[in-house]
Amino acid sequence: MQYWKHALVIAGLTSLSSMAFAQESIKIGVIEPLTGSVAYNGIASLNGAKLAVERRNAAGGVLGRKIELVVEDGQCRPANSVNAAEKLLQRDKVVALSGAFCSSATAAVMPIAEKYKIPFLTGVSSKADLTEKGMQYFFRSAETDRQMSKVFSKILAQQLQLKKVAYIGVNDDWGRGGVEDFSKDLEALGVQTVMKEYFDHGATDFYTLLTKLRASKADGVFVAAETQDGSILVKQFKELGLQTKIFGVGSWATADFIGLTGPASEGIYAAVPYASSLPGERNKAFVDLYASAYKEKPGKYGAAGYNAMNILLDAIARAGKTEPDAIRDALRQTDYAAPNGQYRFTEKGEGYGFDVVLVQIKDKEPHVITQARTEKP
Amino acid sequence: MELFLQYLANGLVTGTFYALSALGLTLILGLMRVVNFAHGELYMLGGVMGWWATTRLGLDFFSGLVLVAVVMGAFGWLVDRFLIERIRDQGEEPGILLTIGLSIFLANTALLVVGTAPLKVEAPLSAAPLILGPVVVTKLRIFAVALSAVLIVAAWLVIQKTRLGRAMRATFQDPMAARLVGVRTANVYAATFAMGTVIASLAGMLLGSIYSAQVAIGGLVSIKAFVVVILGGMGSFAGAIAGGLLLGVVEALWGGYVATGWVDIIGFAMVILTLLCRPYGLFSKRAERA
Repeated sequence: MQYWKHALVIAGLTSLSSMAFAQESIKIGVIEPLTGSVAYNGIASLNGAKLAVERRNAAGGVLGRKIELVVEDGQCRPANSVNAAEKLLQRDKVVALSGAFCSSATAAVMPIAEKYKIPFLTGVSSKADLTEKGMQYFFRSAETDRQMSKVFSKILAQQLQLKKVAYIGVNDDWGRGGVEDFSKDLEALGVQTVMKEYFDHGATDFYTLLTKLRASKADGVFVAAETQDGSILVKQFKELGLQTKIFGVGSWATADFIGLTGPASEGIYAAVPYASSLPGERNKAFVDLYASAYKEKPGKYGAAGYNAMNILLDAIARAGKTEPDAIRDALRQTDYAAPNGQYRFTEKGEGYGFDVVLVQIKDKEPHVITQARTEKP
Repeated sequence: MELFLQYLANGLVTGTFYALSALGLTLILGLMRVVNFAHGELYMLGGVMGWWATTRLGLDFFSGLVLVAVVMGAFGWLVDRFLIERIRDQGEEPGILLTIGLSIFLANTALLVVGTAPLKVEAPLSAAPLILGPVVVTKLRIFAVALSAVLIVAAWLVIQKTRLGRAMRATFQDPMAARLVGVRTANVYAATFAMGTVIASLAGMLLGSIYSAQVAIGGLVSIKAFVVVILGGMGSFAGAIAGGLLLGVVEALWGGYVATGWVDIIGFAMVILTLLCRPYGLFSKRAERA
């Protein structure tokens, strides 16, 4: 009996609150990997997006209507992501799409969005050529490796005063691309390249590579690696007693990385697109909001999901209607004040104007050394 | 020269680790004629249990090692009695299918239970640099090499000097004759598989303390172990040691003087050469079952 009373009260309340949004809600489709190997990161990104929507709905929604997220699991796989996109567009009739996370999955969803003429925004996929495919409905609010390299090369050469740099990368598209980009940009600034080496995913023993590094007499080493490989490499680096300054790109400066690497992580530098310790009121407000909702500080992916969703919601508000073409045109006019800078888009849909951060790990926490704005590509 | 010595030291250390990780595989292959594709997953389970014992249960490294040995030994025994038993003497294909299935089952179960994140096994010694003339190593690595040697010698002693070992060798040579003279061959097979499992899992825990334990590592470990076993000769103890050291040193020198990105090529090139020139491996006894 008690239970039914409760149910009635709740039903009454919901109908009251939905009267505030007399019209139908605006549906936005989100495709993220919710299962599989990158599920942890995909869920963080989704959490960020949900937070943005909750905040907006609490303030009265967009165009007087409530926002509703329709979430599908793309598993970071092209085929699953395409199925998810078809379902969202045909059955749920969403007015805009966000996500897909992995570059290959995003690339597969792009032609679908183009076919249905629905705006599609990714906050994560960083493969450089996504915005070079001539798509009219695709936007990216994520940093590309090219942008990171341009910004950080200057900092490395000028602020850290590096003269001779060695490069180590994981043996895949991303690792080789990172090493090539950074070495080219640093050489243009007069920094000498003394070594370039690659290792395979899942490699465990880096002594040979590090012996070579010691012999190269570099004063800085650039490393493109993910958590597992990077943490073992840094540990062995300290085991060999090397003093070279380490500078990493990839998922460094995360709690996982620092926990695995232990004391060996002290003093290393990492280039990241977002850090919860960024200064500024907007970021502080975002971190508090996120921490109160999820009991942890936002990382790179939480911030990416939050920013991407806010950009979409702003565009719908600016368009004044939910016509996909109007939203697309409004997206092009984006000038969004994010926790980490000011997002704008080029004609190709490439985001710029946001900050990227150089952090140094001290006392098991990433501290912001410097932040720099990405320039219009 | 200084560089060469460091490369050599690196190679000998990783070579010892390769030998230890291949030992369980060569033992099961040599004594039981089972090509164990789940070898890498047994190694992985050792690492994951080592993480659980040292960080979750709060045991020290050695108690953890004993716990892993006991649990994995029992596990290996059960796998043999309940699974491998059913396909004994039916040729090699059912064994291959069974162990491949087992490897998929173990890897995915572990994935479900502990997830994809790399796990840390608490090490017994510090990993601070130790400078010996031109060569830098750590106490932890010297300890791991010593422990590997102890494990290898212990396994050899069990097989050569104990009653159980004699029964194992007798069963391998002729199971029918062994049964006729009163050897309980079912138990001997189970003991052999359990021993291989224990060695694989101890290798997983020991090396997990130096690198880190990871659920998805099984496939890579299996491949390296197969390279070592083919180089050294199936089922040969000396072969596993020589094959492991050879692979470690060659990889270190190749990585040092040519390119580290191409290091896996050298192992497979050596395997192809061995298969062409000495198809039974460097140390094979060429023993065929009657």
